[in-house]
Amino acid sequence: MHSDSIATNSSNIIPMASSNAKDFAKKKRVNRSAKLKQCKLDARREQWLSKVNKCSSEKEDSNGVRVLGPLSKAGNVQGRAMEKLEIRPRGEEENHGLHIHHYSDSESPSNSPMSHNGSILGGNDSGTTFTGSSRSSVSSSRSSSSSRSGGSCSGSMSEEDEEGDDECLDDWETVADALAATEEKHKPDDHSLDTDTASESKDVAHGDSHPDDATGAAPDDDLKAKPENGISLDRSTVKCRAWRPDDVFRPQSLPNLSKQYSFPMNPERYFGCGGSVWGCKNVRPAPTSCPICYEDLDYTDSSFIPCSCGFKLCLFCHKRILEEDGRCPGCRQQYKNESGKVETLLDGNSLAFRLARSCSMVTRS
Amino acid sequence: MDLSRVHKELRECNKDVEVSGIHIALKSDSLTHLVGTIPGPLGTPYEGGTFKIDIILTDGYPFEPPKMKFVTKVWHPNISSQSGAICLDILKDQWSPALTLKTALLSIQALLSAPEPGDPQDAVVAQQYLKEYPTFVSTARYWTEAFAKESSLGVAEKVQRLVEMGFPEDLVRSALEAAGGDENLALEKLCTA
Repeated sequence: MHSDSIATNSSNIIPMASSNAKDFAKKKRVNRSAKLKQCKLDARREQWLSKVNKCSSEKEDSNGVRVLGPLSKAGNVQGRAMEKLEIRPRGEEENHGLHIHHYSDSESPSNSPMSHNGSILGGNDSGTTFTGSSRSSVSSSRSSSSSRSGGSCSGSMSEEDEEGDDECLDDWETVADALAATEEKHKPDDHSLDTDTASESKDVAHGDSHPDDATGAAPDDDLKAKPENGISLDRSTVKCRAWRPDDVFRPQSLPNLSKQYSFPMNPERYFGCGGSVWGCKNVRPAPTSCPICYEDLDYTDSSFIPCSCGFKLCLFCHKRILEEDGRCPGCRQQYKNESGKVETLLDGNSLAFRLARSCSMVTRS
Repeated sequence: MDLSRVHKELRECNKDVEVSGIHIALKSDSLTHLVGTIPGPLGTPYEGGTFKIDIILTDGYPFEPPKMKFVTKVWHPNISSQSGAICLDILKDQWSPALTLKTALLSIQALLSAPEPGDPQDAVVAQQYLKEYPTFVSTARYWTEAFAKESSLGVAEKVQRLVEMGFPEDLVRSALEAAGGDENLALEKLCTA
């Protein structure tokens, strides 16, 4: 049972991981467009693209390697993603069956109303109440997540629910159990949707990206359900609390994990005591501004240290300086050509490794 | 040019004028032409004076240094006594975009208290500084009194008026200097000369 679920999980994680790296780039860009002037945006995009071009090959590799690493079962990353899309509902149903105990084990205080609701309805033995309950869970999830692109996500979730009901109509007890599991499952699902799609909700314009969101987020649920099973109850609650109020800032908290990773001096903060690791502490990096243009540094900027003297500046100003005399404004030394790029590369990789890390914490059984 | 940065710089700089004594004002409507004011450092011949510095920001600012020169006449080895041009590395090749108008003005203020006669802008002043230091000090103090004091702020107008009477400007200036800024005395000198 464990190995089964892991197999499913491993295939679930893959699309998530691969899509995440891309989504992240998209997120970043969309995010910035709100803040930056057009000229600035162009420059950034240029830098991004060149950065992606340069380390794209490594990124792909690291994706594959890291998914393979902890979970030891994975096929073609890109290929499975599509496959996954089609078989998804049934796979999820199987998961529910398999994981019932896990989920009730990992049930957190914040989940309890939901599961309670589910079990009551299970006792009722009524088909209509099932759809009702799934509705209620959907609506509650909708109300609980104000900032996400509700329509698409909750819509797809209700579809999943109904499909699950249809398949199990012949056996009410199974349905009841499955439903209880589904309710409990959807609660963490909500969180993951919240957190993962909150930033993507700015992508609402991309109509066709919604299916991706739904499937991309659901595997993430599996991903997170695992740590919850394994590690502790309050862990999950703390985590949920930590992310919830900051849904909007999710893009910033995302990189923070990798930031911690890229600074090995405080690894214990990364692996250490549950909740805070998940971004509670470092959700908002102290917003500093570029000393050159006085614009706020975003994450990419603040993790960008082009000179060994540690002088930070935004990518835009850095580029501008490179076009001219190429000396660090902080120490007046010539920028060493590679130092900036290496830093950026490292950064990109650590982003890609983020999920791998969270997986590896869980690798037991 | 990064106008928003200039805006912020002006706001920041003028917020603590009381502490630094350094003030930046707009010369015209545009942000490209400014006037900075620095107090003469204490314990120097420039003490008590208020020195105005003309600041022109190029399109490349802050990636290019601001163009600065003294409007107020100064007797200093690294400042042209004629044009007010400043010989200071940070205004040339050692400029860094991390510097600001305020830090540049502070550097100029520091230059006033620590002349570098080895790398002069005004060779005459530098020679005097090296060979007749007491004379240099008294001349510098006199120039401060004459051109950088509140009471001498009207010098430009006085010069203007006397020049309009038909006297050459350099004579007018030296006469005003000799008269300690007294317009009538200077006029008398000019007439008797």
